[in-house]
Amino acid sequence: MARMKFLCDAERCIECNGCVTACKQEHDIPWGVNRRRVVTINDGVPGEKSVSVACMHCSDAPCMAVCPVDCFYKTQEGVVLHDKDLCIGSATAFYACPFGAPQFPQAGAFGVRGKMDKCTFCAGGPEKDNSAAEFTKYGRNRLAEGKLPACAEMCATKALLGGDGDTIADIYRQRVTVRGKGSEVWGWGTAYGRPDAPKPVPGAKS
Amino acid sequence: MMARITRIATLAFGAMAALMLAGCGERPQVIDYKQGTYQGKPDDLPYAAAPFNGDKDKWERDIRNRTQNQNEYKRIGS
Amino acid sequence: MLLTRKSDAARVAGPRLKRTAGARLSTMDRRTFLKRSGVAAGAGAFASQLPYGMIGPAVAAKEGEATNIVKARTICTHCSVGCAVDATVENGVWTRQEPVFESPINLGAHCAKGASVREHGHGEHRLKTPMKLVNGKWQRLSWEQALNEVGDKLMALRKEAGPDAVFWVGSSKHNNEQAYLMRKFVSFWGTNNTDHQARICHSTTVAGVANTWGYGAMTNSYNDMQNTKCALYIGSNAAEAHPVSMLHMLHAKETGAKMIVVDPRFTRTAAKADEFVRIRSGTDIPFLFGVLYHIFKNGWEDQKYIDDRVYGMDKVKADVMAKWTPDKVEEVCGVPEAQVFKVAEMMAKNRPSTIVWCMGQTQHTIGNAIVRASCILQLALGNIGVSGGGANIFRGHDNVQGATDIGPNPDSLPGYYGLATGSWRFWAGVWGVDYEWIKKQYAEGMMEKPGMTVSRWIDGVMYPNDVLDQGPNLRAMVYWGHAPNSQTRGTDMLEAMKKLDLMVVIDPYPSATAAMCAMVRKDGVYLLPAATQFETSGSVTASNRSIQWREKVIEPLFESKPDHTLMVAFAKKFGFDKELTKNYEMIKDKGGWDEPTPESILKEINKGTWTIGYTGQSPERLKLHMKNMSTFDVKTLRARGGPCDGDYFGLPWPCYGTAEMKHPGSPNLYDTSKKMMDGGGCFRANFGVEREGVSLLAADGSHPKGSDLTTGYPEFDHVLLKKLGWWDELTEAEKKAAEGKNWKTDSSGGIIRVAMQVHGCNPFGNAKARAIVWNFPDGIPQHREPLYSPRPDMVAKYPTSDDKKAFWRLPTQYKSIQDKNVTEKVAEKFPLVLTSGRLVEYEGGGDETRSNPWLAELQQENFIEINPKDSNDRGIVDGEYVWVLSPTGAKITVKAQVTDRVGAGTTFIPFHFAGWWEGKDMLEYYPKGAAPVVRGEAVNTATTYGYDSVTMMQESKTTLCQVAKKA
Repeated sequence: MARMKFLCDAERCIECNGCVTACKQEHDIPWGVNRRRVVTINDGVPGEKSVSVACMHCSDAPCMAVCPVDCFYKTQEGVVLHDKDLCIGSATAFYACPFGAPQFPQAGAFGVRGKMDKCTFCAGGPEKDNSAAEFTKYGRNRLAEGKLPACAEMCATKALLGGDGDTIADIYRQRVTVRGKGSEVWGWGTAYGRPDAPKPVPGAKS
Repeated sequence: MMARITRIATLAFGAMAALMLAGCGERPQVIDYKQGTYQGKPDDLPYAAAPFNGDKDKWERDIRNRTQNQNEYKRIGS
Repeated sequence: MLLTRKSDAARVAGPRLKRTAGARLSTMDRRTFLKRSGVAAGAGAFASQLPYGMIGPAVAAKEGEATNIVKARTICTHCSVGCAVDATVENGVWTRQEPVFESPINLGAHCAKGASVREHGHGEHRLKTPMKLVNGKWQRLSWEQALNEVGDKLMALRKEAGPDAVFWVGSSKHNNEQAYLMRKFVSFWGTNNTDHQARICHSTTVAGVANTWGYGAMTNSYNDMQNTKCALYIGSNAAEAHPVSMLHMLHAKETGAKMIVVDPRFTRTAAKADEFVRIRSGTDIPFLFGVLYHIFKNGWEDQKYIDDRVYGMDKVKADVMAKWTPDKVEEVCGVPEAQVFKVAEMMAKNRPSTIVWCMGQTQHTIGNAIVRASCILQLALGNIGVSGGGANIFRGHDNVQGATDIGPNPDSLPGYYGLATGSWRFWAGVWGVDYEWIKKQYAEGMMEKPGMTVSRWIDGVMYPNDVLDQGPNLRAMVYWGHAPNSQTRGTDMLEAMKKLDLMVVIDPYPSATAAMCAMVRKDGVYLLPAATQFETSGSVTASNRSIQWREKVIEPLFESKPDHTLMVAFAKKFGFDKELTKNYEMIKDKGGWDEPTPESILKEINKGTWTIGYTGQSPERLKLHMKNMSTFDVKTLRARGGPCDGDYFGLPWPCYGTAEMKHPGSPNLYDTSKKMMDGGGCFRANFGVEREGVSLLAADGSHPKGSDLTTGYPEFDHVLLKKLGWWDELTEAEKKAAEGKNWKTDSSGGIIRVAMQVHGCNPFGNAKARAIVWNFPDGIPQHREPLYSPRPDMVAKYPTSDDKKAFWRLPTQYKSIQDKNVTEKVAEKFPLVLTSGRLVEYEGGGDETRSNPWLAELQQENFIEINPKDSNDRGIVDGEYVWVLSPTGAKITVKAQVTDRVGAGTTFIPFHFAGWWEGKDMLEYYPKGAAPVVRGEAVNTATTYGYDSVTMMQESKTTLCQVAKKA
């Protein structure tokens, strides 16, 4: 199986925030911590697009690279997790992450003070699976139940896909093929140079 | 010679530290820090506990199947 | 509270996974399991519901560990899409919610509200106990005290002033059984002064559409939109109001459908459209008829369809071609000819095409006409009764459809039977009570007179008594599951609240009603805690007319009681509980109160609601559907194989005849391509047989497939049956019941059985749809400017109607207000159009959803969308608080959001906020611990007078305002 990945289909995302509240609900996340958010560009004008963003579980995670206490690890499935007991709340990960995934609660974070919190791909953390300690610190471990992240499973329009990267890619590819567009948001035009793709402008994003 | 003594001393010190702390069940105060590697607690594999009980293939199959719930084409057709 | 719950959950969390897997089969105690199955389908059927990979070895619960894990399947309570939710309850605490991928309606999808319904199990900001306003402060009292005091006060008022002195506002969030019981309850109290949210939502739709072709409901379904080739959204922001419906629409779009959005704002729905049309608020008729103009001009209309199935289109065509030429269209609504033509071409050349509308069309003084213009467009294109076509009307609250169908309506008994003597006798028969007894409960001459509406109750309180068309003024209000801040004229409402003798709020939350009252009163207000739909079971009707059964998730929280239990309690106090519960199975709830089971109430509904076919949806059939959701095809909604084989999901009404007839439900209304027993239909014969020499019955050859009658025919009654020679096909028992009756009043269902099941005919007749509704103020829809119009020049050309002297028991103004606005140059002093609408995070008046921290965090301040031109003209910067000033003199303060979403000259404020009054936070006026997390100004504090000329719908979509920088 491939790594676990998220992909948000911007053609379908309607900014309903279902993914945001699904996550809050699933893990009892306190006010002020937003593991997942919806980002909208061109708000209110033609060309408005939204994507749902949380931790991207990078293969070469900057957070993991910069952490001064090395509290990050990556599971076999590619999920990037961290140990809150070790975390000193330095916010270096916050600085390094291009997606704004690290969150810092005001007071207490699932029972532990001021530690960094972020999307876990619903894979819990370094505590016994499905134990009270795991839920209090990291939230639900859906992967250990054979389920997938709550945000992706509850997405209103099935825009947000989350799961085995291979399967996700298949699902997305089918959609793009059927509708003939949508992939340009993710740079397919640049990457694959389709004959009918517009010529890339130097310096501009595709 | 000096290097060897230093090494023995380090080992002895480490052993003593471990000995002193062993009884209390505490983590060593001086962590043997290896830069660039994970320093935290170990985590379980997601298929370790029930209902998978270590069956990695079953878990992967289930996950892959479950991912299809996010694909309405499966149920709607075209 | 949260900590306690979590540690409960923690205690069971240890071997939770192991036990959870087994629990579904073994640790669930026998009683719960059997209650859940309903039918003896048993473990086999249930096991098929488990998600992949979760069928594991049954493991006995560990000694000493918490044991009781229950699963319940329910439906989200926040909108009419009807998304299913699987709830896990451990030791009575709602710990988890899972998406129901099997549901053919939502396939597991949720919006922000649906994904967070589990918060209802916390309910930290709920109204927890009965409360009373004493000297301006909220005091707790016991249920016994509350019921006695409120009951006594109401009885005293009834004695002094008559039953019409009390207005009972019911709820579109009641389930079917509760809504139905409410109608019965107020009838026994003796008044028609009852109403619910449909008034201010789709009342114009129901009236306009039903009068066009027979039923006033969504003709197709959210699912069916997958079959469309082109969808026109006009006055609907589905991406925020019905997010999961977009799953179906975007799938359709992906497979080639076109999408057009017409709106004064560039909404999130418009962001997904192929074509966005910006129109001036309130000018839908010029636009729609402008489209129709091009359709006629290019010969794109479906002439055969019109000849067969439509009355009056020729006259409409003449009117449209003369009045709505491109120049006139552009002058009124602002849309240039090229774009109107483009829309017409898209709709005509991509059939079947569908039209979707919501409040943008309904909430106007001419709402009844606007919706009919949409209907006429679809009739001209031949799109009604066709899969992929239809008039897809998206209803609002989760059960507004059910409440409209069988609930507390001021002008009708359940099932749209109306209030005529015959209808009363019919329902008295169903209820098993003496008609004369009910009549005595009413004041003289009031029983058959439609009551006042929730949109005008304030005038019922404030107007001088001699102008009212009823004996007393309204002296007491019971707000039973309705918010106050969704009605216009908030400042007038505050005055009315001051004047009332008594205000009673029965709600899971105190709602803004409590705060408003406490702000201006010292006493005379009671708050009674009601339970939510997660704390009871019952059926709910989605917008597509599918009925789903909710299982109870948790026991009522704190001291709340389910609404139907409270109705019985009040009935006891008023002395008619025996009559109210005559046919029901009564049980004692956990608190020892008498509760009628929802199943037995539904069975009574099944016995009486012939008109719209609420008769076939027995509790057993509905529960079977909920257990076997995966067997239903998502595109057609029909079960292929399985225990529900042949049924359409939720048995969408009309599901004609008795449950034994096994009618499968009607997924798309008026569909002549299907047999009646396959869910087919035709237009209803409800308007007579002939008009001005033209037959109103369908043309020869136009009929439901396989019908024995291939001509048009009136509705079935004993006379017609005898004439056709089919009378003897009734059994003896059926003959006894059907003699002298028609299909709606025949308690055996025999007429329906013979006509439909045996002969394939539609019991309600086979007629033409009316393009001209001659009994409405404007037979052919006419554009009339809103009362608070920004264009006096247009007012001169398209003025509103004349004032009415007695309309729903109240004098109602139109022309006098519009003329006054013109002479006083209101449009100059208040030059910006103020419109309002929905946000995805909140629902309705908003106190419930603003009390959910997970939702509230996403929208923390009320705001006004204002175009950069208008903000720059006023020196307003994005993000600063401004005053929004109303012609009424009211002012509210909201945050300015400078955006191009609205065109210059139009502003938008969401209507979900309440809890601030003209700049002041009302927190201190809420009972302690029961204020919503987020509070803000209610836009309706600043809205104005204006009511639909048929239904008294409020004109909330178009009014005027001025926006000013805070000094």
